[in-house]
Amino acid sequence: MELSPQLAARFDKLGNAYPVKRSALIPMMIYAQDEYGYVSDEMIEEIARRLELRTVQVEETLAYYSMLRRKPMGKHHVQVCTNVACMLRGGYEILDQAKKRLEIGHKETTKDGVFSLEEVECIGACTGAPAIQVNYDFYENLTTKQFDRIIEELDAGRRPAPVPVISGALHDRDPQETVLISARWGIKDSRKIDVYLQNGGYQALEKALNQMTPETIIDEVKKSNLRGRGGAGFPTGMKWSFVPKDSPKARYVICNADESEPGTCKDRPLMEMDPHQLIEGMIIAGRAIGAHRGFIYIRGEYRYVLDLVEEAIQEAYQRGYLGQNILGSGFDYDLLIHTGAGAYECGEESALMESLEGKRGYPRIKPPFPAVVGLYGCPTIINNVETLSAVPAIIKEGGEAYANRGTPKNGGTRLLCVAGHVNKPGIYEIPLGMNMKKFIYEMAGGIPNGRKLKAVIPGGSSCPLLTADEIDLAMDYDAVAKAGSMLGSGGMVVMDEETCMVDMARRIMHFYAHESCGWCIPCREGTIWLRKMLERFHAGLGRSEDIDMVGELAKNMLGRTFCPLGDAAAMPTISIVQKFRSEFEDHLNGRCAYKSAEALVGTR
Amino acid sequence: MAEQKFVHLKINDRDVEVPAGTLVIEASKQIATEVPSFCYYPGLSLQAACRMCLVEVEKMPKLQTACTLVATEGMVVRTDTAQIKQARKGVLEFLLTNHPLDCPVCDKGGECELQDMVFRYGADSSRFVEEKIHRPEEKWSEIVYYDAPRCILCFRCVRVCDEGMDVKALGVGMRGANSVIIPNREDHLECEECGMCIDICPVGALTSGTYRYKTRPWEMEYVPTTCAHCSNGCKTTLSVRNHEIVRANNRDLSGINGDFLCVKGRFGFDFTKHPERIKQPLVRKGDKLLPVSWEEAAQLAGARLKEIHGKHGGDAIGFIGSNRTSNEENFLFAKLARETFGSANIDHHRTADYTGLMTALGENARDSLLTMDQLYRAKAVLLVGNDPTYQNPLVAWQIRSGVRHHGLKLFIIHAKQIKLVRQAARFVQVPEGQEAAAVRWLESGAALEPALVEQLTALKAELGAASELAIVFGSELAGAAIASLVNFGSKLAGKVRYMALGDYANSRGAADMGVLPDHGPGYAGVAKAGLNAPAMVEAAQNGQLKALYVVGANPLAHYGTLGYGRGKAELLIVHELFMTETARQADVVFPAASAYEKDGTVTNTSGEMQRLQKAAEVMGPRTDFDLLRILSHQLEKQGLGKAFHYKNPAAVFAEIRKTVPGYDVELGALLAGEAEEAHIPVRRNGKPYDVPVGLIRSANDTLFTSGTLSKFLTTIESVPEAQAKS
Repeated sequence: MELSPQLAARFDKLGNAYPVKRSALIPMMIYAQDEYGYVSDEMIEEIARRLELRTVQVEETLAYYSMLRRKPMGKHHVQVCTNVACMLRGGYEILDQAKKRLEIGHKETTKDGVFSLEEVECIGACTGAPAIQVNYDFYENLTTKQFDRIIEELDAGRRPAPVPVISGALHDRDPQETVLISARWGIKDSRKIDVYLQNGGYQALEKALNQMTPETIIDEVKKSNLRGRGGAGFPTGMKWSFVPKDSPKARYVICNADESEPGTCKDRPLMEMDPHQLIEGMIIAGRAIGAHRGFIYIRGEYRYVLDLVEEAIQEAYQRGYLGQNILGSGFDYDLLIHTGAGAYECGEESALMESLEGKRGYPRIKPPFPAVVGLYGCPTIINNVETLSAVPAIIKEGGEAYANRGTPKNGGTRLLCVAGHVNKPGIYEIPLGMNMKKFIYEMAGGIPNGRKLKAVIPGGSSCPLLTADEIDLAMDYDAVAKAGSMLGSGGMVVMDEETCMVDMARRIMHFYAHESCGWCIPCREGTIWLRKMLERFHAGLGRSEDIDMVGELAKNMLGRTFCPLGDAAAMPTISIVQKFRSEFEDHLNGRCAYKSAEALVGTR
Repeated sequence: MAEQKFVHLKINDRDVEVPAGTLVIEASKQIATEVPSFCYYPGLSLQAACRMCLVEVEKMPKLQTACTLVATEGMVVRTDTAQIKQARKGVLEFLLTNHPLDCPVCDKGGECELQDMVFRYGADSSRFVEEKIHRPEEKWSEIVYYDAPRCILCFRCVRVCDEGMDVKALGVGMRGANSVIIPNREDHLECEECGMCIDICPVGALTSGTYRYKTRPWEMEYVPTTCAHCSNGCKTTLSVRNHEIVRANNRDLSGINGDFLCVKGRFGFDFTKHPERIKQPLVRKGDKLLPVSWEEAAQLAGARLKEIHGKHGGDAIGFIGSNRTSNEENFLFAKLARETFGSANIDHHRTADYTGLMTALGENARDSLLTMDQLYRAKAVLLVGNDPTYQNPLVAWQIRSGVRHHGLKLFIIHAKQIKLVRQAARFVQVPEGQEAAAVRWLESGAALEPALVEQLTALKAELGAASELAIVFGSELAGAAIASLVNFGSKLAGKVRYMALGDYANSRGAADMGVLPDHGPGYAGVAKAGLNAPAMVEAAQNGQLKALYVVGANPLAHYGTLGYGRGKAELLIVHELFMTETARQADVVFPAASAYEKDGTVTNTSGEMQRLQKAAEVMGPRTDFDLLRILSHQLEKQGLGKAFHYKNPAAVFAEIRKTVPGYDVELGALLAGEAEEAHIPVRRNGKPYDVPVGLIRSANDTLFTSGTLSKFLTTIESVPEAQAKS
């Protein structure tokens, strides 16, 4: 197939960029789609030929990812998020407006091919909810009128300015914030290397490479009590120490920038405003485990962030912070940023590696764990953006100092993005152990419109929800776990008393059913069964036995699935049924006491 | 051999000892405790996807999948607790939510693993009241139908097609509960049509297009027998209803082929009921072949043979036997030729030089022949010539499985880059026809072009380093070349075993039973050698040979002056299933039964003997055993030779066991359906053995052809892949 010179050049580069050719598959497909609007049969054959794959292998990989399509959509693909944070702030109203204005439905295209519409899952703009994307551009804090204006502009052939940076990141610092890894946010051109260097950048790298050894680096990270900021909270130093010292295989560092946990949008600002901090952290991590290659796996929707990080990577190469003999230490390190294409499961470390290898994002059997058998079967450490971004600070101030910012076994600070029914949604950097109630009412400004708090998602929709009585606790991994929930990804979503919890349960399950990879029976069949049940229930057609059945089915998934997605679907559902049972009982009588009653009876 | 470590664990309070590295799901089989599973399939990659095999393990907080858990010393496992029972029920309940209630019309009903599981572990009612995802059924080929709602997404089909068959024609489309299996050509399959996917499917998602809606599993009789096609001797179980074969498979995973069966073993049975089957004896009257009574045909054949024998002697008659008739029939045929007629002109279309191999091995045959199982377990294999993927599918499967499971090292010398090269550690490509030259270089450094010498040197070093080696070769090596090969093998440090690759179900048996001009049964020497098959046809055409007796062969299509037919031959008698070129020229045609319609034994290319069991009954044809017996009676009546008084093929087999060295095998195992190795020791007489060039001729069958039966394999002929090749 004849490709445009730019695409051909891009394909040539991609075909040689990875240790194993197939890794180029998903980037190739999405870049082809960017140019042609979709991935045609001929393009599939062309890509198969270049990567020495069979067409069925290309087809099956394409079919897994939400963003890839084999038929054209509109020139402007409008993606409206209706997941938890956006739903609480009018996401469905925006969707209804979109359907009205464009006169098309979900996954449909206007006759002139100019617009297409899709109701999508969390796009990582929670603090700016309700939000949409048009192709890769983010538009946040929308009203229906603003939505109309965007469409008008696009119709007229102009491109309305997308948000320059995620909403809620740049705000006046609350005195109770402990500003460490978000220190450079708000500085003009903070993402540029010169600004980074002027503000303390790459000093930790100098220390790590020229004054420390791999062992002492790992020791320092262990002392810091840094725990995975992606959601699981596994001690980072311990994870790094699992890499076998004597393996002859290549080693890899992977940054998990797939940020797709509903309610979570804190890696996005870290990458767009301080990419060099992440790069520095990745190089230090490489040094710690003897890896000379790093990959950043970033979700496909964050394209503009990918472009910014790529610029930073190029700057780093030009100035000698990446490449060979970094800072005269003799240490070589290469870094590549790699795009996903729409799959929440690819945030799971082993599914991420499958996706990076160019395959469907199915998780892997564990053990063996990535530190022993990881990317391309080689020892790999894979950490969240925020986790790796904390590494330079740890090296600079020392592990102990970092640890002391938090609570015992829960060291340091973390970013908390709070969204939903709060007066000041935004991304805040707090010390581990800060009180949740205090945070919500003081830092986040409390509940708007004089309403009362009803429920909180503490750290991403995979956590059990907390009621108003349960939020007086310290926000660290252990304390929240003790209270029956999780600190999780840092994606906090607050719901006020007018929120229909049955609708929340429905929407949360809708997400997991959409994202379930389909590998194992309980998650694959369980999520969709529960989704259909909760839809029927919320629509007023529930039966009394359904209430208990929801909990039972969720419990049949809990602990029985191949990967934690099943647990992630089950836990919030069980907590909602347990803690808000009366709302379910209300719905039995065809009654929903809340505004979302418009979505009721007969319409689904 | 390294000492094997054992571990001791407890399963449901019972002590179990297993080799280190054993999975708990396998360990539990030892105490006849079933841990149910769908996606776990021995031989294919592990998945832990279905979650049926969850078990409780002391000191592990979460339930563990027994299919990925390796048994360790002191492990305490429970598979029978209330929690496990509830977990299994839960998984089945989830699975049944979208599975349609198709049992009454689903072909799999009665042999469905999901049915069995629900019966044993499931709930008795469904709580699902939502709408199911419906998708229409898809026809992916004449042979494979896919019904997505029934699919439980165990991915066995995808894995067997990819890992097992190395075809990779199936993939997985979409995601989550919308996942489906997809064929490699959008809406249909382009593949080897082996049907492995159909049989490995635990439910009725993948079903056979030729078996659809025909009958129910409990209405059929199951007759295990040996496949009638290639020389590998796979066991195929024929499902028979009203004496008609309705389908064939190897679902019980028994036989030397284990999991495996190719398209011919699975679908190559419908020739038995092809409308062109010869069902009556035919006699030439004028220029036509007309049906006659059995008496007339037998009398005529006997009388005319007696006449020619009387006038010209036994040397004026030629006997060409079959690659497909049973050992008993071959034995009788050779006996008829030598004892009744005193003729040494007896041969068959030799597709491999078994004589060459047996002669070269001499007394060491027992120790030096390779069974199919030993091929799988081999640490290193040298393949010279042949294209096993298409000509000897079980051989290819064993090699691929060996590579996949325990790192078997494959070395190939071949004129073409055959598909197996993908698994090869080293491949030396030689010009066509130079395989023997390459072997001679390996043996003694005989002259060869430098580029090849360089490659072969590297190969030789690796072969020398192997602690044991299996050498498998095709018809490219014959006569003295085989002696060179065996000589080379004898100089290697490791233990070497050999397998010659022939083409048909009983090619090896034909040679073993002495259907040869220069060797008797068991490769015994003969007083005077007769004409070989090509020579017989030439002699018949130019009138030197007065009569040709042909059983299950088509020599006039391949030997002599092609197109010249029977030439000046005065008498041509044929046993056949279909009107081949040879049959059309005959004076007398006897309708013969096929391998699926008789009892007896056959010997595969590696010397493993197995039984044939009569499955189908076609009105009209008679077994070659019967036909030879009838003829012998006719001849005796006319004063020539002694009639055969064997009551049945078993009686012939009893004589074979007594008189053919190496065939005195254990009867019990054989009758129970096992394979018994027939290793004939041959006393070398010092004379070098060779064959004329071109005598050993592969039939070059593919997956979709089987000699003269090709045209009559209706199902196989109908697939596009078969048509593309022709």
